[in-house]
Amino acid sequence: MSSTASPRPEGPAPAAPYRVGFDASMRGRRAECDGGQAIEGTRLAGRQNFAGTLTGDFRDFGDYPWRWYLMTDLTRKPSGSTHAAVWCDSGSLVLEGDE
Amino acid sequence: MSGPLHTPLCEKLGIEYPIVAFTHCKDVVVAVINSGGFAVLGEALHSPDQIAADIKWIRDRISGKAFGIDLVLPASVPEDRTVQQLLAQIPQSHRDFEQMIKHKYSVPDPKEAPNLHIWGGLDQKRALAQVEVVFDERVPVFASGLGSPEFLLKRAHQLGMQVWGLVGKPRQARKQIAAGTDVIIAQGYDAAGHTGNIGTFSIVPQVVDAARGTGVPVLAAGGVTTGRHLAAALALGADGVWTGSVWLTSRESDVNLPLKERLLEAETDDTVYSDCISGYTMRTIRCPWHDEWLGPAAPEVLKPPLQMLLSANYIQGSLDYQRKDLMTEAAGQGIHYVTEMKPARQILSDLVEGALDVFDRFAAA
Repeated sequence: MSSTASPRPEGPAPAAPYRVGFDASMRGRRAECDGGQAIEGTRLAGRQNFAGTLTGDFRDFGDYPWRWYLMTDLTRKPSGSTHAAVWCDSGSLVLEGDE
Repeated sequence: MSGPLHTPLCEKLGIEYPIVAFTHCKDVVVAVINSGGFAVLGEALHSPDQIAADIKWIRDRISGKAFGIDLVLPASVPEDRTVQQLLAQIPQSHRDFEQMIKHKYSVPDPKEAPNLHIWGGLDQKRALAQVEVVFDERVPVFASGLGSPEFLLKRAHQLGMQVWGLVGKPRQARKQIAAGTDVIIAQGYDAAGHTGNIGTFSIVPQVVDAARGTGVPVLAAGGVTTGRHLAAALALGADGVWTGSVWLTSRESDVNLPLKERLLEAETDDTVYSDCISGYTMRTIRCPWHDEWLGPAAPEVLKPPLQMLLSANYIQGSLDYQRKDLMTEAAGQGIHYVTEMKPARQILSDLVEGALDVFDRFAAA
């Protein structure tokens, strides 16, 4: 698939698609998420904004890692959304008080 | 080279003009790069193998020049999401409304059922597989069309790659600049697709202010289709422009001919910022689907991906049978100025000449 090999981060590759963890310092933090994702069946993307409370639970994907936090008690979510919780890319989170 | 169009972005990329084309068509990428601009190929829909093949195809035609790949990394994913569970939630009233549109406008059935599971953004695992190809191939520029690229900056920089981030809010820009993103694309509400709600004239100077002193170039995006827009973007402090709609109707573009004709005819207010196509708000060209869903008889738009599942047959049918009267496409408000089908080289030249005319006029005043 590729013509050149790139250096990989140190450490063994995870067997699972993600690793779970808990960060007590994030538990109960109010946050907003500038979220969204690609739109299925199209080549387009859509933004979605959420606000709620982080549980402290996280999932790390890949070797970098790419960290995602679980947000619950949603006080803002897109119209029509019936989900009670959302996983948010850590880079897309804005913690209350940090702005 | 010097002059008002030779910005730090040109130095950073080794290009003549501070014009970046975002396109889903490889031929447009090659034409723009070989004409002195820069181009980024949108690959959100493609598999890792397809992305690798596209990279090779482009490299074979641009004589070592730089180019970019854009992926749509997810930024939020609902908990316990399963598509099958969601499919069962489409209310009969919404299915009936979709069927009403089908009959009212004689929407043909697609030749094949739309494949709603072939893109790369549904989950993190698939997105990471796409990212790996871009790393393996050491693509000079990785652009993230949505999610934050913070997590991959270190590795990208180790490989000598640049990471660009597209933002719709000043706070997103501040975060990405702090994290080390190399170029920020400030996208205004005028833009096609998934724009934020801040206008281009408002967000660009705010992002420029956020980037001041950091050395991070800012690209203005949203409604940029003429040289006057390019000059205005530079006047706002941007280092260049990120353009999309203007390339859809280029000779090289693989957009089908009836849709190109529809785009060439479109006016600014033919673009609609609505969630009725997918459940996500996005700017697209108005079509009968919009007319009905924005009307008083329409039920409430469903959440993603249900709304997309409802609209998928309409969209695919309109494309399969080249029904210009039914077609839609993502397009920005600058589409008013897209009135001719021209070669990409000519489009680039017109942007440059138009901007230089503005600066000449000011210099002569």
